[in-house]
Amino acid sequence: MPAPNFCPRGSYVSANALKSPRTALELRRIIIGRIGWCLCGLGLLLVIGPLIDIVAVVTWHGIAAFSPHLFTENTTGPNGGLANAIAGTFLITLFAMLIAIPLGVSAGIHLSEYGRGKLASATRFMSDTLTGTPSIVLGYFSYIVMIIGLGWGFSLAAASITIAILIVPYLARITELSLQQVPNTMREAAYALGAKDSTVVFKVVLPAASSGVLTGALLALAISVGETAPLIYTAGWSNYGWNGQFAHEPVAYLTYVIWTFIDQPDAKSHALAFAAAFLVMVVVLAINVGVRLTVRRKKLV
Amino acid sequence: MKLRPFRLTVLGLSLLIPAALCAVVLFLVLYSGQAIVFNGLRFLTQVNWNLGDLYDDPVVVHGIQVPAGANYGILVFIAGTLASSAIAIVIAVPLAVGASIFLAEIVPSKIRPALSMLVELIAVVPSVVFGLWGIAVLVPFIGHYLSPNGSGYGLLAASIVLALMITPIIASTLLDALLQVPRENRESAFALGATHFEVVMKAIMPMVRTTLIGGIVLALGRALGETMAVLMVSGGGLNILPTSLFSPISTISSFIASQLDSAETDPTNMSVRALAEIALVLFIITLSVNACAKLLSSGVLRVRKRA
Amino acid sequence: MKMMNLLQAGAVALAVTAAAGITQARADAPLVETGSSLLYPLFNLWVPAYTASHPGADITTTSTGSGAGIAQAFKGLVNIGASDAYLSDTMAHDHTNMLSIPLAISSQAINYNLPGITHLKLSGPILAGIYSGKITQWNDPAIAAANPGVALPNHVIIPVHRTDGSGDTFIFTQYLSASDAAWRSTVRFGTSVSWPAVTGGIGANGNQGMVTAAQANPYSIAYIGVSFANQAAQAGLGQAKLLNKAGHYVLPTPATISAAAASVANSTPADERISMVFAPGVHAYPIVNYEYAIINTQQSSPDVAAAVRTFLTWAITEGNSMSFLKQVHFMPLPAAVVELSKAQIAKIQ
Repeated sequence: MPAPNFCPRGSYVSANALKSPRTALELRRIIIGRIGWCLCGLGLLLVIGPLIDIVAVVTWHGIAAFSPHLFTENTTGPNGGLANAIAGTFLITLFAMLIAIPLGVSAGIHLSEYGRGKLASATRFMSDTLTGTPSIVLGYFSYIVMIIGLGWGFSLAAASITIAILIVPYLARITELSLQQVPNTMREAAYALGAKDSTVVFKVVLPAASSGVLTGALLALAISVGETAPLIYTAGWSNYGWNGQFAHEPVAYLTYVIWTFIDQPDAKSHALAFAAAFLVMVVVLAINVGVRLTVRRKKLV
Repeated sequence: MKLRPFRLTVLGLSLLIPAALCAVVLFLVLYSGQAIVFNGLRFLTQVNWNLGDLYDDPVVVHGIQVPAGANYGILVFIAGTLASSAIAIVIAVPLAVGASIFLAEIVPSKIRPALSMLVELIAVVPSVVFGLWGIAVLVPFIGHYLSPNGSGYGLLAASIVLALMITPIIASTLLDALLQVPRENRESAFALGATHFEVVMKAIMPMVRTTLIGGIVLALGRALGETMAVLMVSGGGLNILPTSLFSPISTISSFIASQLDSAETDPTNMSVRALAEIALVLFIITLSVNACAKLLSSGVLRVRKRA
Repeated sequence: MKMMNLLQAGAVALAVTAAAGITQARADAPLVETGSSLLYPLFNLWVPAYTASHPGADITTTSTGSGAGIAQAFKGLVNIGASDAYLSDTMAHDHTNMLSIPLAISSQAINYNLPGITHLKLSGPILAGIYSGKITQWNDPAIAAANPGVALPNHVIIPVHRTDGSGDTFIFTQYLSASDAAWRSTVRFGTSVSWPAVTGGIGANGNQGMVTAAQANPYSIAYIGVSFANQAAQAGLGQAKLLNKAGHYVLPTPATISAAAASVANSTPADERISMVFAPGVHAYPIVNYEYAIINTQQSSPDVAAAVRTFLTWAITEGNSMSFLKQVHFMPLPAAVVELSKAQIAKIQ
């Protein structure tokens, strides 16, 4: 008999197992079952445990390093605050989203509404391939092409475009999936009233799927806040806030602080690294938890 | 046919995605061209990565200018990449399978969404935060308790961090599949007198095997391309193949991230081109893995017919 | 529907306004410095002092390794490339617009994680043996012979090397090349070398990473720029006495560093590219070097060029005062070299 007090779907427990005495074989099967369940439970513990440890460690050190001057002071060497990095991450993310959302949503509209045939499935496949491309490869590409080739130097433009390339395929995919869930009758009704393609999409389909598209946008936002590898060779680093230039002006970003300052052999730098990690983690987790709690759990990705 | 400006616009914009991918691939192929010619197959089979003597005059080999003594062999990085990803999979699969079975079968359905959300959240923690945790917690632990020479950086640390990062991918894929197994399957197995655990192992798991493999391959794709977390804990091994779990390693992606600056000091630019070739190799590896995942999930390569 | 559009437009407008809001009024000629992690602590002392006395000056400092400093100055990505290594002959001859300008005199310590042993005696051939995998145990006869009476542990050595292009790698491998024939003919020297295969050998990023890695790995050995000497000492690392050309074991002290610098101060050429490694002299410490600013004479605008000139001139004059240098264990440039550097700085347009 499977552990009955364990089993929410336990209505299946066979009744005659309770009555007849257990044979050695039955006993063995039961014991194997018990061990099996214990191992499964252990698996779950080992999966969730590290997450809790990561959150705990980062929060513990991050809170310890927290002070108002993190938000008001710029980084000076491996000291100071994080104002420049917070602003930089915000800007890179903002401009990446401004580039990626129109592209990704348009691509999603095309694939969902009109995308049939070979071209569309090729687009889908290549979009998935781009999603699977390691981000360091994109960073390398941007470095040689934009930073060196086009001569932009470390810059907001190059960083934002690189992140945009990274998140456009996500946006396209999620937009496509959520538009497909809009019932066809709504489209037919709109077309029957003589609506144009753009009217149908913007006034009927997109609003109906807005929560899905918004989810996609927020998840893409979370991805771009947490990225590091594609920024190392595109954003550079600056000890100051942005001066309004898109090229020839490096920008600071939070994840840089995490991966370079943790290597510095002094406690102040470690504190900054943990504070930055805490900020990034809170933003990313908050977005994801928020999205998952508000949007009823649909498998979109 | 009527001209439809809106449709053409979204079509045009959607084509930018393939265009971006083509640009990346085309760039990698063209830019690494000279390096491919210079390196030949040695690139994949040699252990020795040597930028050459950058303080000596460059020499001309087969009509291509390179630093004296330059030799680009990436077997160490291929081995590091494959070994760390493979060990990560070996760690992650049992954990993910156990966790998702436990979630699907034991955890009350009221708590399940919360716990499965926790599992999924692991997948969104930025990799640099994993790296930070690796340096702060994991590396000292391995160095102190496990490693024979006291060094925590290396293959094991990289594999464990990777395993943590990919477990949720496998687990959430599998959990969804487990929850979709038709009721009849489990009921008929129970009716035959199977214990609950036997029902799961013999009646339910075979039905989700294809999904599981698809999830594993997807996770493998992520592990192979992961950069930051691995860079932070792998120990940066060079010119030597890993011999134990505690050997320092480099993966292809972490090597690209750490070496681009050094390569830029090469006056002949050959090492930057060699890095493009490495990026191309990484791209091909992840592309083939992701293509496998796609084929598996679309059911073209069904491993086993559903019962 | 209208509401939705309004909201969306509002959100975008708000974000863009916020972006505009965080733009800061900045100097006309913001400078960016990157490169040497050995110079990085000094730059972090210099820049606040300099900006305090030069209002409106605006200099970003980053530690990426000398290789990056050279490469990024060369590509015009940064204004000042910091490097412990001078430019190679090929680079200097092919690109006469690239200057190597000494800013200070520095040295490098060999540190190791062996609790209780503060000053082990080591030589170039021993280090070459360790870094090429020929000497694998701390109680190797070669190390024991140089350290009579020291209880050496029977434990495998973990050599730590830099993974980034590094001027520390450059001067360290110069020392090995100068003192060990086998190293000279195989690995040679440079900011990135092909490290021989050593089981367990670890790569680290920057001097900061070297300290961290050496601290985290008992029985490791690392070459660490002297500006990190305080951190290395705090991390409990020992500092080796190195065998110099005259056959004496010496520690990096102001006296031994100056002794090495004195040997080449008067022979420094006009382009100032010269090695001080393995200098002659009874008291000379063997790994001493000029810290260079790698500068492109053609800056993006006259304003930027003027800002670079002003800052560099300040660095080699007021910046060379011991109040800064003492904190990172550097030594000031000799007067003759200051003049050479000034002549080079004048070329920046």
